[in-house]
Amino acid sequence: MGEKDLFGYIKVDQANLLGKEFEAYKGIYCTLCRQLGKDYSIFARLILSYDCTFYAMMALDLSEEPPCYQEGRCRFNPFKKCHYADTQTLAFSLAAALSVISAYYKLKDNLLDSPWYKRIFYRMVQPFFASWRKKAAKKYPMIDESVSKMMERQITAERDDNCVLDQAADPTATMLGEMCGLLADQIPLREPLKQEQTKRILQSMGYAMGRWIYLIDACDDYEKDQKHHNFNPFLLDNREDLPDYMQANLNHALSDALLSYGLLDKGRYDNIIRNVLCVSCVNIQKKIISKYTDTKETED
Amino acid sequence: MKNPYEVLGVSETATDEEIKTAYRNLAKKYHPDNYNDSPLADVAEEKMKEVNEAYDRICDMRRNGSHSSSYNGSYGTGNSYTRTSYPDVRQYIMNGRLDDAMELLNGIPDTNRDAEWYFLMGMVFSRKGWNDQAYSYFQRAYQMDPSNPEFSAAFNNMNARRAYNNPGYNTAGTGMGCSGCDICTGMLCANCLCNCCSRGC
Repeated sequence: MGEKDLFGYIKVDQANLLGKEFEAYKGIYCTLCRQLGKDYSIFARLILSYDCTFYAMMALDLSEEPPCYQEGRCRFNPFKKCHYADTQTLAFSLAAALSVISAYYKLKDNLLDSPWYKRIFYRMVQPFFASWRKKAAKKYPMIDESVSKMMERQITAERDDNCVLDQAADPTATMLGEMCGLLADQIPLREPLKQEQTKRILQSMGYAMGRWIYLIDACDDYEKDQKHHNFNPFLLDNREDLPDYMQANLNHALSDALLSYGLLDKGRYDNIIRNVLCVSCVNIQKKIISKYTDTKETED
Repeated sequence: MKNPYEVLGVSETATDEEIKTAYRNLAKKYHPDNYNDSPLADVAEEKMKEVNEAYDRICDMRRNGSHSSSYNGSYGTGNSYTRTSYPDVRQYIMNGRLDDAMELLNGIPDTNRDAEWYFLMGMVFSRKGWNDQAYSYFQRAYQMDPSNPEFSAAFNNMNARRAYNNPGYNTAGTGMGCSGCDICTGMLCANCLCNCCSRGC
């Protein structure tokens, strides 16, 4: 089993974070969960993902006003005390909208290529997802537009007989690039960030992160897709050095994200963001790719 | 204008050595080689200029004979290609007009495609974020003309990124700010390289 995509791949590496940094990250995670409940429904809290938490954290890192934390109790675990940030912040509202919109389109996509018993379940929950998406799209039409365009472009790319890896990764990457660029438009930026330049940096960083997310997911699903004859960008050409090839492409995307991020003046979550890019993602990558190197060695 | 010490990320009481180290790290980080094929090349150039200026200002402020901006120039910015067969394509790439550059390049017949053509193709793909295509074009350009410093720099840089080894950034993977780990990962990388080589032979 992989690191499972249900909750996302963009995590933090707790062992390499300071206590206060991890508390801050957890606070963002809990606040996004609460925001999903507040804006949509208590069940919408179940679609909370690490990827969207990272998105919220990026947004908070850029914003002028620092988030204000206060203690509260978790709805799912009343014995657990959590730190919540102020849910009035735009960062959480954007991240929550992105969560429900991408969950809706993911579900729609799953309906197309899942076994019948799963499809029954998806059909049952679809109306809920649809209503949340409608609400979010009304508030942020550009998010809905960007994600729906991504889905269409993904289908077109997968149907193209001459599809190459970059083309397959492009829709997700472009979408996340646009989403990150959107932050520069929506969030009142902290000093000394300049809007136009920040937008370009974020777009480029988002593109690279999106590419990484798409590729890591593809690496994770490689065996499954091979078995079920599904589309997978790593199945496009038969490579002998597959694990190295996966590693090189993932590294390259991560490098691009890091190089873009490096051009941004450091913000309040710099340590956590660097922890994600330099430690956590690298470890997740290693873990997933090791599935293929290990089997190869035993075959040898 | 920004406080030069803030730009370098050091306190005003930092020693000359600390300032020099901070400057060197930042210069490595924003070095044009790192961003040459990135859509953010101009932003990096601006940053580099800012860092150079800050360092010069601190040196000027502290100068009493022993300080001079000895690194000035060594981390210079700006591209210096001596001759090119595709000035228009390069201009388009510099202005971010990637589709136009691609169109011009595609218009060149197969028989006329030299190493520089492959290099520029790689450049367009890289700026678009299509890394895998970019890599194969850079590789081809390098293979066709390994003596060209521009092609080999681009290819080597990309190889470093594909190994997640970015100058000026700590990407150890298991620990941050731990020099012991750096040594370990360095050894690991060297080991991997050796393994690759022996497998390839």
